[in-house]
Amino acid sequence: MTATLGERIAKVPRPRPRASTITAYAVIIGIVVLGVWSFIGLEYNFQNLERTIANLQRFFTSATPLVWPGFDSNKLPDGTVEITFQGWGAVGNFVGRIAITLSIVLAGTALAAVLSIPVAYGAARNTSPHPTVLAACRGIGVLARAIPDVVLVTFLAYLWFGAGTLAAIVAVGLHSVGMISKMMADAIEQTDEGPATAVKAVGASKPQQFWSGIVPQALPAWIAVSLHRADINLRSTVILGVVGVVGLGYDLFQSLHAGPAGMRRSIPLVIIIVVLCIIFEIVSSVLRARLLGVRPTGRGLGDLAVRRAAAASPAVATFIDRGAPKAAQNARLEAALHRPWTRERMQTTTWIWLAVVILVGAFVFAALDPASNWAKLFVWRPDLLVNPALDIAIWPPTFGSRDFGDVLAAVVTTVQVAFAATLMSAVISAFVGPLAARNVAPNSAVRSFFRVFTLFFRAIPELVLAIFFIIATGLGPQAGTLALGIGGVGLLGKLIADSMEEVPNGPERAISTVGGTRLQVFFASTVPLSIPSLVSHLMYVLEQNIRSATLLGIVGGGGIGFLVLNALEARHFDQVIAFVLIIIALVVVVESVSVAIRRAVR
Amino acid sequence: MTIDDTPAVRISDLGKTYPGTSNPALTGVSLTVQPGEIAVLLGLSGSGKSTLLRHLNGLETPTTGSVETLGLDVARQKGRALRELRGRVGFIFQQFELVGPLTVLENVLTGSLATRRGPHIGIRSYPKDLRLKALGHLDRVGLLERTYQRADTLSGGQQQRVAIARALMQDPELLLADEPVASLDPESSSQVMALIREIAAERSLTVVCSLHQVDVALGWGDRIIGLRAGEIVLDTTTDGLSKDQVMEIYGRVAVTTTELTAITTELAEAREQVLSAELRRMSADFDADGDRQ
Repeated sequence: MTATLGERIAKVPRPRPRASTITAYAVIIGIVVLGVWSFIGLEYNFQNLERTIANLQRFFTSATPLVWPGFDSNKLPDGTVEITFQGWGAVGNFVGRIAITLSIVLAGTALAAVLSIPVAYGAARNTSPHPTVLAACRGIGVLARAIPDVVLVTFLAYLWFGAGTLAAIVAVGLHSVGMISKMMADAIEQTDEGPATAVKAVGASKPQQFWSGIVPQALPAWIAVSLHRADINLRSTVILGVVGVVGLGYDLFQSLHAGPAGMRRSIPLVIIIVVLCIIFEIVSSVLRARLLGVRPTGRGLGDLAVRRAAAASPAVATFIDRGAPKAAQNARLEAALHRPWTRERMQTTTWIWLAVVILVGAFVFAALDPASNWAKLFVWRPDLLVNPALDIAIWPPTFGSRDFGDVLAAVVTTVQVAFAATLMSAVISAFVGPLAARNVAPNSAVRSFFRVFTLFFRAIPELVLAIFFIIATGLGPQAGTLALGIGGVGLLGKLIADSMEEVPNGPERAISTVGGTRLQVFFASTVPLSIPSLVSHLMYVLEQNIRSATLLGIVGGGGIGFLVLNALEARHFDQVIAFVLIIIALVVVVESVSVAIRRAVR
Repeated sequence: MTIDDTPAVRISDLGKTYPGTSNPALTGVSLTVQPGEIAVLLGLSGSGKSTLLRHLNGLETPTTGSVETLGLDVARQKGRALRELRGRVGFIFQQFELVGPLTVLENVLTGSLATRRGPHIGIRSYPKDLRLKALGHLDRVGLLERTYQRADTLSGGQQQRVAIARALMQDPELLLADEPVASLDPESSSQVMALIREIAAERSLTVVCSLHQVDVALGWGDRIIGLRAGEIVLDTTTDGLSKDQVMEIYGRVAVTTTELTAITTELAEAREQVLSAELRRMSADFDADGDRQ
């Protein structure tokens, strides 16, 4: 007796869902639930929307007319505002502050890039001399990522009092080692082991194997990561202005605390910062694209310089006379010693020297800053670290007047800000991301629009957004959440778009061939295929948000960052240390959970 | 015993089992290679040729037995001494293993690292006499005009010739070659094999080269050592080997009757499975038709 179709369908075995699928959906549900819980916990309500609008109106009234750098404004008795030009000297001063900001970013990143090499050497599984070294170097990376650069700056400015911008360079450098060394270690682990084995087989020592066999392979990744980090550093150095590091961030915070005349300067400053970030981002991504082997268009600045130089010098002689007799071999070899100046070599040399000049220039410029003092870097003052007579010494850590419950509440607020912001970014990016993907967007105009949209939000420093929302909603975690949530759209939207463009397009074509509409193709093929990378991006953004939530606290976003700010302002480093230890613990926990989840969904 | 009497390679009862595997890669291999010999290790992939070669310069450590290269017990050499020994042994890889982003010249110069102290970055970090020497070797392998090109822009045959120049840079006493032509087209293959032979003659080098093509091995080596499943199954000179003997060698080294039988059985089983799956599907279709009626 054969079974009916229905019975046989009922008997079709249903395999248990794979662990990666369960994890992926658990993460999505978890973020939604925790995000909603956080929104409730942060006491959001839409009743004060009216007040928000009034706040913004008030701000814009006081901030207009715009006063660009180099100008000054004066309110006349009749209520109109008179704007006067301060002379070219003032403009020059302002350009100088742009230059000092860029110097801090470039010099700090260069320092980090150099420091990252030994750390990455120890943290990469294939080069690390010993498991303890591996653990130690990875620990250094985690620590460097977890300690906010603004905390480092304040601490170094205290330790090397009077070292000026140099403290900022060192702080940016130390903080950036975290990211650069991690990605450099990944690049080292991904190198082909063959060439390194070949160098080992000729009898090379371990350092020789590393420098001759591995570094040349990992070099493009190292430069690309450093450029990317410089990009991030430009945006994050704005916050260093809060603790008094000269530059654009400092100007911005000064203007916000300088009455109506200052308010009128603030919007132009924000515009300049954002434009600078966008230009920098474009330059760094063009350079990265060139490095990673994308064919150059031949219309770049470097190309132009090289072409000019080539036109000016006589034609390059080929160094081998192939018809020469054997007796002339020595002469041939001597001739071959001199590397010919080919177009390619001139191009490479031009770029290298340009980079060297810019980086050296950055260090020199920062060092020449009147506030800088190199000598301070080499004065060791242990009495500043441990000194019972001083209230501000570092050891032992203490919560000061706060009890553990207060601190825990602050941590919960920070976590809530991160979760609520992640949910907010996710919801907005769910629309923005797909529309910025080539294979989902209805046409290229829509795609380009949303790509530029994400680029724009990536370029705005989170801090500038935070200030905007603080003005709008007042001090507190709500402003921080809005800033991170809106700013996160830039990153998450781009990541979603990229991962949707990366899905294999065979299944998509198959569904559209059987008559599926665009929307059907999207839900039947694009979404399910991109779920694993979506989840891992979501975790990455959450990780970033935890870190940023602590930072935004420092400008008034609430949470543990607010406690750090209070302690920093009073130079209570014993308290700063205690709070930073808690931040480190928080970041380490979130990072390990995130790494585990990302490994599980892969 | 004078230096000249020391065998270039003396292996006694070498066994190797990789950690985490149950089958040994090598079992009870004993072998002596005299200075000036041109020996071929012949066998299919997985027969243990590479493993054997990698023991000779200490890239692998023996599980049992011992390996003596140029009169030194390889397993006993550590640090500086091991590096010096490796410096005296040239090694040519199947995949060439040049450092792709570096220039051809710098790749050749890395061959001199055993004699140098500390890391070297860039061509200029090597002294002029070494650079001239490297250029001479590049000229010898016919690639002088490629000196300043990136190594990964060369063809496979050219890359292998650069790798030979890198080995020459070591002034080796012993040259090991692990399937040097397995990734090359026939024309480049014969060029590279001829080059190795010429260089060996010029410098009276000892050569141990692994191959899997019987015809190449017969025309090229002085001595053939056949390996199968980690054991030596053949050791003979190629002088006066007849066509029949060649075929016999091929049978013994490549595919034995038992191996052929195993393959046939496996194929039959696979066919069986496909057929039964087909049958099940057909009967299922038949049932479905019945349901509909």
